[in-house]
Amino acid sequence: MSFEWPWQYNFPPFFTLQPNVDTRQKQLVAWCSLALSYCRHHKLYTLDVMEAQESPVFNNKKIERKLSMEAIQVVFEELRKKGNLEWLDKNKSRCLVMWRRPEEWGKLIYQWVSKNGMVNSVFTLYELSNGDDTEGEEFHGLEEWMLLRSLQALQTDGKAEIITMDDGKGVKFF
Amino acid sequence: TMRKGVGTGAIAKKKLAEVTLQLLLLLCICMSKQLETFKSHLEEFASKHKQEIRKNPQFRVQFQEMCATIGVDPLASGKGFWSEMLGVGDFYYELGVQIIEVCLALKHRNGGLITLDELHQRVLKGRGKYAQEVSQDDLVRAIKKLKVMGNGFGMIPVGGSYLVQSVPAELNMDHTVVLQLAEDHLLKEGLAWLDSQAAGEAQYWLPALFSELSSRDVTPEEANQMTP
Repeated sequence: MSFEWPWQYNFPPFFTLQPNVDTRQKQLVAWCSLALSYCRHHKLYTLDVMEAQESPVFNNKKIERKLSMEAIQVVFEELRKKGNLEWLDKNKSRCLVMWRRPEEWGKLIYQWVSKNGMVNSVFTLYELSNGDDTEGEEFHGLEEWMLLRSLQALQTDGKAEIITMDDGKGVKFF
Repeated sequence: TMRKGVGTGAIAKKKLAEVTLQLLLLLCICMSKQLETFKSHLEEFASKHKQEIRKNPQFRVQFQEMCATIGVDPLASGKGFWSEMLGVGDFYYELGVQIIEVCLALKHRNGGLITLDELHQRVLKGRGKYAQEVSQDDLVRAIKKLKVMGNGFGMIPVGGSYLVQSVPAELNMDHTVVLQLAEDHLLKEGLAWLDSQAAGEAQYWLPALFSELSSRDVTPEEANQMTP
């Protein structure tokens, strides 16, 4: 299914950081929503800021408008404040994008585990994220850092325990 | 706009409520009695509140809304019973003249388009400190009268307010709408968005107009996301 752009995407001023404070607020809300939807649709978990500037989401070639680097940073800062983004480096060149929070992922994973009667089984992280059994599940392909956080959330809830195995980490569900 | 000393306090509100009630009573009488009786009550009402009507814009709005519910337009004709009784017609006629003056004076600068806000500010300035208070509602009514008289006046709804057009003209409804008026004002009011990547100089877009132009239907919720 192709990504559906919101109508703001084709509104040229949307790509100019608005000087009016109230207008800018509305603009940023729309940008955050668009960025998260886009990442969700394409299952992007990390973003490189330089690459992002050339990506279709911040660069609409059809109307010849793109967000400036400064504006992108402002949008990212908004996402960070809302808890949807984490910087990976001090220079703010790469970030983690959490269009779904770890707790929400954890819930999805646990639902799958219990639905398939696999409570009390042990899984390697790889099996969960890339195994044949999980193909078609939303968490299939989930990057390890996010998977770990999700499992940690479940662990806090007493629904799982992360274990260290010979060649990596695994998890047992309760 | 609310101004100090124009009866926005509790006493003024009470007075307004009383008068509204009286007008409602008149309405009841009108329904049940003969025209003559109605007329004499109306005359009494009119003379009692003539001053109030001229002085208080809030009262004017209420009054006109009440008239509308009984199917009376006090401004319907310059020589009508109502306008003569209350002098309401004069008030709007004078205001209309003022509006024309302001628009003519600025036409060379703004091409005959002015925001209701700016028009209001300039009209107030022109009237001076001791003149009667004039609200934006008054301006809108006066412009509607002007329109009826065929003066080339019109109002274009934009965002939550209006642009007042004093020259018959068609806005260029192309994808690029460039308005050479009060751009800072429009930006300030959140009515326009700045586009700094247009070829040549910066452009200003009105989301309200844009959403009408795009082929996709915009839901009211989406429209609200962009306009104040």
